[in-house]
Amino acid sequence: MSHSKIFPPTPLGGRLRGAFAAVAVVALLAGCASTTTEAGSNSSSPVTGGTLVYLEQQAHTNLYPPSGGFYPNGGILNQITDKLTWQDPETLEIKPWIATSWKVNDDNTEYTFTLRDGVTFSDGTPLDAEAVAKNFDTYGLGNAELKQPVSEVINNYDHSEVVDPLTVTFFFKKPSPGFLQGTATIGSGLVSLSTLAHSYDDLGKATNIIGSGPFTVSKETLGTEVDLKARTDYKWAPEPSENQGRSYLDGIKILVTSEDSVRIGSLLSGQGDLIRQVQAYDEAQVEAQSFKVYAEPTRGVNDSVTFRPDNPLVADVKVRRALLKATDSAEIVETLFSKNYPQATSVLAHDAAGYVDLSTELAYDPDESKKLLDEAGWKLGSDGVREKDGEKLSLDIYESLPQPQNKQVLQLLAQQWAKVGVTLNVLAGDAGSRAADIIDPSKTPLTVTEVGRADPDVIKSQFYYANRDGLLLKGGLSATSKFEDTTLNSLLEAETTQTDRDKRLADTSEVQKYLIDQAYNIPLFEEPQVFAGAPYVEGLAFEAVGRPSFYNTWLAKH
Amino acid sequence: MTRYLVGRIAQMVVVLWAAFTVSFILLQALPGDAVLIKFSSSDLGLNAEQIAQIRASYGADEPVLLQYLHALGNVITGNFGYSLQAGVPVSDLLLANVPSTLTLASIGFIAAVILAVAIAFLSTLAPFGWLRAGIQSLPSLFISVPTFWLGITLIQIFSFRLKLIPVIGGTDVQSLILPVITLAIPIAAPLAQILVRTIDHVNTQPFVEVVRAKGASSSWVLWRHVAKNATLPALTIAGVLFGELIAGAVVTETVFGRNGIGRLTQEAVSNQDTSVLQAIVVLSAAVYVVVNLVVDLLYPVLDPRLNKKVSVAA
Repeated sequence: MSHSKIFPPTPLGGRLRGAFAAVAVVALLAGCASTTTEAGSNSSSPVTGGTLVYLEQQAHTNLYPPSGGFYPNGGILNQITDKLTWQDPETLEIKPWIATSWKVNDDNTEYTFTLRDGVTFSDGTPLDAEAVAKNFDTYGLGNAELKQPVSEVINNYDHSEVVDPLTVTFFFKKPSPGFLQGTATIGSGLVSLSTLAHSYDDLGKATNIIGSGPFTVSKETLGTEVDLKARTDYKWAPEPSENQGRSYLDGIKILVTSEDSVRIGSLLSGQGDLIRQVQAYDEAQVEAQSFKVYAEPTRGVNDSVTFRPDNPLVADVKVRRALLKATDSAEIVETLFSKNYPQATSVLAHDAAGYVDLSTELAYDPDESKKLLDEAGWKLGSDGVREKDGEKLSLDIYESLPQPQNKQVLQLLAQQWAKVGVTLNVLAGDAGSRAADIIDPSKTPLTVTEVGRADPDVIKSQFYYANRDGLLLKGGLSATSKFEDTTLNSLLEAETTQTDRDKRLADTSEVQKYLIDQAYNIPLFEEPQVFAGAPYVEGLAFEAVGRPSFYNTWLAKH
Repeated sequence: MTRYLVGRIAQMVVVLWAAFTVSFILLQALPGDAVLIKFSSSDLGLNAEQIAQIRASYGADEPVLLQYLHALGNVITGNFGYSLQAGVPVSDLLLANVPSTLTLASIGFIAAVILAVAIAFLSTLAPFGWLRAGIQSLPSLFISVPTFWLGITLIQIFSFRLKLIPVIGGTDVQSLILPVITLAIPIAAPLAQILVRTIDHVNTQPFVEVVRAKGASSSWVLWRHVAKNATLPALTIAGVLFGELIAGAVVTETVFGRNGIGRLTQEAVSNQDTSVLQAIVVLSAAVYVVVNLVVDLLYPVLDPRLNKKVSVAA
């Protein structure tokens, strides 16, 4: 018998040796066992049950459906409300949902929808033609008494007519081909009549929103948490969905975690299942630990800067073209972002309706830029900044907080423009100054632009004077602007009233070409909505503009 | 005594009215307003006509004096109005945030006091010079630590690495531990500093020598004689610190995702949410006034010398 120092030849030594052996055997078996369970744990069929913990970056502000543009609002609305139609995110086709079929007249001024039978809101009231009519009367015309604003996606709305309990017709003052897609957007979620009776000021309380969706609001702690619970009698999913019954998840816990590192850390340490808003520089960290990054495109107007031609500094098209050529969007994307942020090749994203490739017109050409500025009469001063008639070419722009890393993007842009002798001042400002200055072209010769919507109307929405008026044209948001571009106006009006689908897409291409030719807009990159999820979260889906849909989501065993 | 209290309460009403009015004037003087900020934001996509219609329904362009009288009338009747940014009545917001802040502030304050007293007493009783110097440098260290760094580091170590305390979910008690530590450390620093200095000062008083001559040990002297005299200046600072705690826990609340008045104020300021801001101003003014009153009433209890009325020889 060896006189081992580790296991002394005493009764205790003997017990120690035995214990050691036992532990070794168990460890070996455990090693074998874990490999076999790993191989067998991959189930591919949905598991019913469980609660998804979803970490949001900001609290929701208002759940009036047309306010769903703000992602925290849309994230909740997409689970608790249904819409008349459903848009396929890949093909952008419109499919039946609450409406089983629809008829549109030739000039797109009358839309008749036939509704599904037996749909109810979560408070038991029926989702019938009367409810649908009241919903769209509100979204189309607004309600001044209750301070409910008009929905952006519904234009030229006149009135509705209830034909019978399952049929409703909408009438428009002018052709509105964009309306059908409008019924599929987040802003057209259908809510109960009692919800619509609340003043806009009261619709920030999630428990006040009654929809017909697969989830309902069960609990809310203002500013920190919203709990959703599955609706067990749900049986009216969009037509293409395989699952037509209740959701797989029992519930969803939406928690507000505004600090980036805490949000990501909670996901990676297993305390959360899904998070929204992962910055480009954090993606590597998430992927290194085998968590999934979902970068959902928003299929609309790209993250870009738009000029206000009413401002004399940028009124000359040569100056604008020069600045377009002085912009190196490839450098911006490579320096600040990841592969999930494609470089822009047009005003619209490449997967937007009506996209046309304008990458040759958007090529970086600093020499051409300098030539154009010289031609426009802006000469390089002794301090490196161009000047003309004693005025320096110094432009102000406000940073836009909802856009990712916007301050850094603008600072890099300022560096690029400094090379051709133009100063770009990036202003932070408080919300009040910003809101007041951004509709004044003399204060803001440039602004940051981005809109997500999967319909050609998105470009009209951004650049038409009677909508968002990104260019601050005459007759729009600015009371003093005198700049008018009748060509642009007629191009946009043609697009939005064109009933022929192919002609409409061609019109959209024309608008993009014109915007770039006049250098009204400098596209930078296609902005995604970036989520990160645990590997066991399956069945996560997103609508056309990147809002999550948890109806078919399930949690695999882990 | 009652006359004194009545006088103080009348003072309080005047202070509250002044706070309300001054904040109203200042908010009006700022560019833009809450309605403009909310309804011209990019997620609604409204045009000029629609924004004008909304502004009319909110009375946003009424004469300033009329708006002031409306607001004052509402506050007096207890109607704090609605938060434009959050779409809920302001009273709901306060109900959701005040209890959370009170809990965090009270427990944080108690923890800070314990920590400060521990530092002060340990440094006084420390047997070695180098130990005393070390402990006395702790307040400087504590005040230099940035709150957000402390909070994030604590979360990283105790929640994500060691998995001892959950950040998400967890019971009420669990979710208080890390924020309380994060708050208590910077608050304890000035308290500890003051206590250490006053204890040193009181230790030089003649009566302490007398007590020592009678044979008392260091700790007896400290606990029975010096402590009471040293607390008075600390009490003044404590009153101010507690007021700061109520409004200033913004960073801690944001890092830990807790509701609180600090975070509510910061958001209301960013969005110029006038009704929320006015409610907070009035509330904070009330808290400060009450805390000052309590501190003033406590002074004579702690130091009987302040109670005696000095009679003027006729």
